[in-house]
Amino acid sequence: MPAKVALKRNPKKNPLGRVFSGNIGALAVGLKYFFDPNRITLLYPHEYIKLRQGYRGYIILIQEKCISCSSCARICPARAMKMLSVKVFDKRLKKEMVKKFPVINYNRCIFCGYCVDVCPTEALYHVPYHDLVYMNMQDMILSLEDFQKEPEDVTAKEGLPIKYIFDEKKGLVKVKYEEEKKEVVQPQQSQQQKENPQSKQVDKGGVS
Amino acid sequence: MASNISSGSVPHLPGMEVTELSKNTYEVYIGPAHPGSGHMRIIVEVDGDVMVRVDPDIGFVHRTMEKLAEGRDWIKNIPLFERMAILDACNITLPYVEAVERLLGTEPPDRARYLRTLLCEINRIASHLYGMGIFGVFLGHSTLYMWAFGDREVFIDLAEQMTGARLTHSYPVFGGVRRDIPDDFPENARKATKYMRNRLNEYAKIFLNNPNIRSRLENVGIMSKNLATELGIVGPNLRASGVRYDVRLNEPYEAYGDVEFEIPVFEEGDSLARAWARVEEIRQSLNIIEQAVDWLEKHPRENFMHEKFWKTAPKLYKDVFSGQIDYAGKYRVKLMPLFASLKVPPGKAFARVEAGRGEMVYYVESDGEDVPYRVRVVSPSFRNVIAFKYLMPGHRLMDLPAIYGSFDYFPPEWDR
Amino acid sequence: MNVWYLIYRVIIDDIIFYPPIYQFLIIPGLIAALIVALIIIWFERKAAAFVQMRYGPREIAPKIGGAIQLVADLTRYALQEIIIPETVDVLPYLLSPIIMIILALLPLEAVPITSIRTYYPIPPDYSLLIAVALSTLSPLFIIIMSWASNNKFAVVGGVRESFIITAYELIAVLGFLSVAAMTQSFNLVQIVNLQMSGKWFGLLNPIALLVVFIAVLMSTSGFPFEIPDSESELVAGPYTEYTGLLYGLNMGGAYIKRWVFSILITIVFLGGWAPYRPTPGIITGYFIPSLIISIKALIVMAIMSFLRSVYGRYRVDQALGIAWEILIPLTLVAFGLGLAEAYFGII
Ligand code: SF4
Ligand code: SF4
Repeated sequence: MPAKVALKRNPKKNPLGRVFSGNIGALAVGLKYFFDPNRITLLYPHEYIKLRQGYRGYIILIQEKCISCSSCARICPARAMKMLSVKVFDKRLKKEMVKKFPVINYNRCIFCGYCVDVCPTEALYHVPYHDLVYMNMQDMILSLEDFQKEPEDVTAKEGLPIKYIFDEKKGLVKVKYEEEKKEVVQPQQSQQQKENPQSKQVDKGGVS
Repeated sequence: MASNISSGSVPHLPGMEVTELSKNTYEVYIGPAHPGSGHMRIIVEVDGDVMVRVDPDIGFVHRTMEKLAEGRDWIKNIPLFERMAILDACNITLPYVEAVERLLGTEPPDRARYLRTLLCEINRIASHLYGMGIFGVFLGHSTLYMWAFGDREVFIDLAEQMTGARLTHSYPVFGGVRRDIPDDFPENARKATKYMRNRLNEYAKIFLNNPNIRSRLENVGIMSKNLATELGIVGPNLRASGVRYDVRLNEPYEAYGDVEFEIPVFEEGDSLARAWARVEEIRQSLNIIEQAVDWLEKHPRENFMHEKFWKTAPKLYKDVFSGQIDYAGKYRVKLMPLFASLKVPPGKAFARVEAGRGEMVYYVESDGEDVPYRVRVVSPSFRNVIAFKYLMPGHRLMDLPAIYGSFDYFPPEWDR
Repeated sequence: MNVWYLIYRVIIDDIIFYPPIYQFLIIPGLIAALIVALIIIWFERKAAAFVQMRYGPREIAPKIGGAIQLVADLTRYALQEIIIPETVDVLPYLLSPIIMIILALLPLEAVPITSIRTYYPIPPDYSLLIAVALSTLSPLFIIIMSWASNNKFAVVGGVRESFIITAYELIAVLGFLSVAAMTQSFNLVQIVNLQMSGKWFGLLNPIALLVVFIAVLMSTSGFPFEIPDSESELVAGPYTEYTGLLYGLNMGGAYIKRWVFSILITIVFLGGWAPYRPTPGIITGYFIPSLIISIKALIVMAIMSFLRSVYGRYRVDQALGIAWEILIPLTLVAFGLGLAEAYFGII
């Protein structure tokens, strides 16, 4: 059987005992936390939470994957995503043509993630941070180029990355974030790096 | 001071009500610009220190939710309705989703039902903690306020792991849910429930059993069984008055028919009972979370979306779910492009769930278009607010926060 | 003799250490009270933060735990525009916060803080009675303040304040006098001298100490009796219409009152400058005992501040009920206990 009704009453004690045990209990709990504080405050911006992958933060477009199906713009509940016609060079058809790509207006976006989830080719993805500052409203309407760049994670420049882990005694415990998932991703990265060093060296050579 | 105007000398203006104050009383406006209120106003007529007339005046955050819904696609209404009570997001949107599912004929599969139940309970705890925190600060107990909001963070964090957003989850969609739980979620959830159980004892020590707070709450704002049913009060407030009514009990939805839990019903009906009812409900929600997590762990990760939608899914969608694409989150259920232009068969549907503050009711009518013909929302806070008018008179002005807070008010919800 | 030395002596002896000035303005008066307010408000915030899963003030001077946060706050209060609403009664509105602070400090003029005869501000024979009597003056100005504000919330707050005054005043007076019953004397110097042996009256008559402690909490609207300015229904009570520096004065007034009472509690119940025995000389006879008293009083205040993180607030009728139904009988018990101890010669 699922739910049962449980009849309960407010806990009762004789008044005198209540006054003594109640006051002493309350003071004891207060003193316990006074001497052994359990603090969960994040000292933002000296620290910032390194959010998990899968957090619905800012949205990035991978233009090569986009097939201009407009699903994202159609499902957007806040009408933040709009299709923009641009001239691009189509590699397959080998000619210049006008295609539609989504652009986003962060004034309106509510980070519901519908657009990312509906995109049939995974051309959109979330970056796991959300604290950005724009100088004016106009800047929040991104151009197609800006929409493809991962925005700069400003807090990461100054603050320490922090991670909250669950704990039975303290609820959430603040620990320093360590790059642990790197090992899984490394194979791919090292491949990229193998290609990259040459280009970097070339770059450096060019500068010097 | 508008209160000094006598009704004789003022012409009757349309839409304005002029009431004459009886002798020796004055009016106090609690809200909307008052540290002790949200976006609402309570007009209190006070005789000395005793309230004689209390008039909850709502409408400060009215946003025409129902009308807006008529101009939006079916799926776009989910984030819209969430805005009524973002701290209880899943519970608030779930009945809408259920109602539309009834029209579509897409019952969610088992795993989705459990996932929804899980998030609903996480939301319920977060929402109760929020209410208790506000209650605490109303009584001048800032520690409970900070504790409740701090501990709420634990559950918001859980919800964030599950859905990717702290408050506006937009989690249930027609036929299923939008994500599955991450791998380390069951472990975290168990830790969180264990932690919260201990904390509830400390809450009782520092707040509910604290003689100071007890004397503020005991025998204050007693709502009899009769009055509660007459006024149509819902939620923990109703059950604190001894009425055995809970949608989860009377009409089990989602996975509530399969999990075991108790519905605490208190006899007294005073503010203290309402506070205790919330604490006991949090305890039961913790039980449900544990059971749901156990179930989810035992069963394979499939069936999180109704067959009708998921069978058309291309391979990429399954890849995304199993985490093959490294730049995107794992266990994400992709939405079908079909959702963007969903047309719901004509018909009428009705659904209700037990949200954190009480029964949440949606009535949805479709005429076969891609927008609803009509959505009627009845939210729990709207039904609870009338109690102020009947409970407060006769109490001292200082009891106003004790009653107001015990009802776990949430103005954006009762205004819609 | 060197002229400079003479001037120095005059400044030190006759101005700074002239008892009425020293006690009113320096220690334990205004300057000490400001420093104490700095420490206590910081402690109060930090203690509350410790209990409440937070860090408390930190951003200003993180190295010393944000201890000078109050300086920043005071600067803000001082620079804020003082808005005087049109409907207020301007003269009492402006004057009452200032008079309240001065009157709140006045009891210090009656309290001897050393046993050296030359450093008594007034003859100490009836100093206990005079100090307690002077301490009852300042709350009147809170009522004037609230009436002058011409605001419903302020008036309700003022009415509550007046209720509370009637409740705590008798308790505080009787509580202090139960010590007079023990010692058969109103002379604070004699009261402290009797405690030199380590038998503090707070230990001999803990009921009186408890009762006075609660009465002080009531009088300074500390938790759990923060009733006149309870923000959840009365915005800020009597201080609703005040802004800027005047509001800061009001907030400071409560702390100063609490400070003065803490000093009285220290002297009457916690042994004053005992175990130290003052010897003639400015430093050893006046400065050190005043410091000892201040530190003891600081601890009393810290305990009062800590209660904020454990208790909420009582309803006004409950506070009055506690005062009249529980505390006054308790005070009488304490008074009887004092008499009994005096009769059996325990002191
Ligand atoms: S996240 Fe939601 S609101 Fe933002 S662009 Fe995507 S669909 Fe629109
Ligand atoms: S849904 Fe994806 S593929 Fe379609 S237009 Fe949007 S980004 Fe491009």
